[in-house]
Amino acid sequence: MVGGRARGTGVRVPLAFTGVQVPEELHYTAEHEWVAPSGQTVRVGITDYAQDALGDVVYVDLPAVGVEVAAGGVLGEVESTKSVSEIYAPVAGTVVAVNEALSTAPEQVNGDPYGSGWLCELAPAEPDALQSLLDAAAYRRLVDS
Amino acid sequence: MAFPRRSPLHDAHVAAGARLVLFGGWEMPLSYPTGTVVEHLACRRSAACFDVSHLGTVRVEGPDAWDRLQRSLSNDLRRIAPGHAQYSHLLGDDGSVVDDVIVWWTADDSFDVMPNASNTVPVRQALGGDDITAGRAVIAVQGPEARSLLGGVAPDLAAVPRFGVRQAMWQRVPVTVAGTGYTGEDGVEIAVPAEAAGSLWSAVVGAGVVPAGLGARDTLRLEAGLPLYGHELGPGITPVQAGLSWVVGWDKPELRGRDVLVAERRDGPRRRLRGIVAGRRPLRDGAAVSAGGVTIGHCTSGSFSPVLGRGIALAYLDSTAAAGAATTGLPVVVDLRGTPVDATTVPLPFVAGSPAR
Repeated sequence: MVGGRARGTGVRVPLAFTGVQVPEELHYTAEHEWVAPSGQTVRVGITDYAQDALGDVVYVDLPAVGVEVAAGGVLGEVESTKSVSEIYAPVAGTVVAVNEALSTAPEQVNGDPYGSGWLCELAPAEPDALQSLLDAAAYRRLVDS
Repeated sequence: MAFPRRSPLHDAHVAAGARLVLFGGWEMPLSYPTGTVVEHLACRRSAACFDVSHLGTVRVEGPDAWDRLQRSLSNDLRRIAPGHAQYSHLLGDDGSVVDDVIVWWTADDSFDVMPNASNTVPVRQALGGDDITAGRAVIAVQGPEARSLLGGVAPDLAAVPRFGVRQAMWQRVPVTVAGTGYTGEDGVEIAVPAEAAGSLWSAVVGAGVVPAGLGARDTLRLEAGLPLYGHELGPGITPVQAGLSWVVGWDKPELRGRDVLVAERRDGPRRRLRGIVAGRRPLRDGAAVSAGGVTIGHCTSGSFSPVLGRGIALAYLDSTAAAGAATTGLPVVVDLRGTPVDATTVPLPFVAGSPAR
């Protein structure tokens, strides 16, 4: 996710942001996605920092199951009342599941970004793809800087 | 201006954890930790308060004040009397809306004119008068319970009727109160001297009114079908196209842009402002609107309606397509970043607010 294509009044993220959750066991991207390995697949969502910066999520556009994405390719969009932010694939792979509950309850992205607010699951094309991602300490430095 | 201007309530917003945003040269709350949707629903169901200090206040006084306003603004002051408020437009010679303003007729020879933040300078140039924006805060208290909750801490302020303007006292400080607002709900707006703004804001919030930011203010005015300068109003757009012919004093001896407006009213405007409702996906400003494969206009404001749970937009649509029976129920397609989204034209407002008391 990137700081969205804000329309009109854009969201301005405070420079020194404190108090966001960065779970130790997850992997992260500089675009504020998290990645959780689970067997042969990985689960993907946006971070606490990202959901807070975005504001109230009112719509989530998710990919279709079976779609193949390149690393950094567009997976979907997360929309607040004010802005649209693209979600990028943290790793190359095939979409194997999407969180259908977000179609009627997108606010779960705000309420539980690492839990019920997950976005989709990918089968990575490369077995060691996660090694290129940030660990929690590195991501924490990114959002604290 | 190099640095953003700040409201007298700035410190209170920071203390409340507000997310701040630059708007019209001002640094104002976009939302509080409650979030835009909760703030929006509080205003529709109970009451919300907004710091709208970024709106300018131009004070026009003196024996010629009435004449200057009557000559320069579109609406007809003969329709109201001292102690009343009136929505009006500053028009260009081509009938374009240079700004939309609220006029508070505070006393016989005194008017407080409130333009949009970015338009205070042109409005003052047109009307004369003094820019008194810096010395005061303006607090809007809006919603079906706005008067009852405000009445618990400031009964005189809460009693000002819809479109009435009164002088009142808040803790021995004189304030000006108008039964106006821009949310589609009943309520009041209070102009309070900067030094007393904090205590009034605290009292209002303490009474149970939910602080709301510009994010909710925008979705509320959009649901109410109210135009925003820079979106539905601006260069090349007339009050007739915007569906605001009632803002024009057609019988006034002096009216800027009269020839253009009269011709447009007679022949019908080439485009009209319409409401569009889609599915859950938010509609967006700038999105093209088509019908039968032909582009018939563009969205000028779009977002998500928290009350309807659907994407909504205001759009200017070609009159040939938007006229007659097609005013409502016209199937259209909105192009959202390359994705076609089915939608329908609907009558405005999208959501009817609380009845005025």
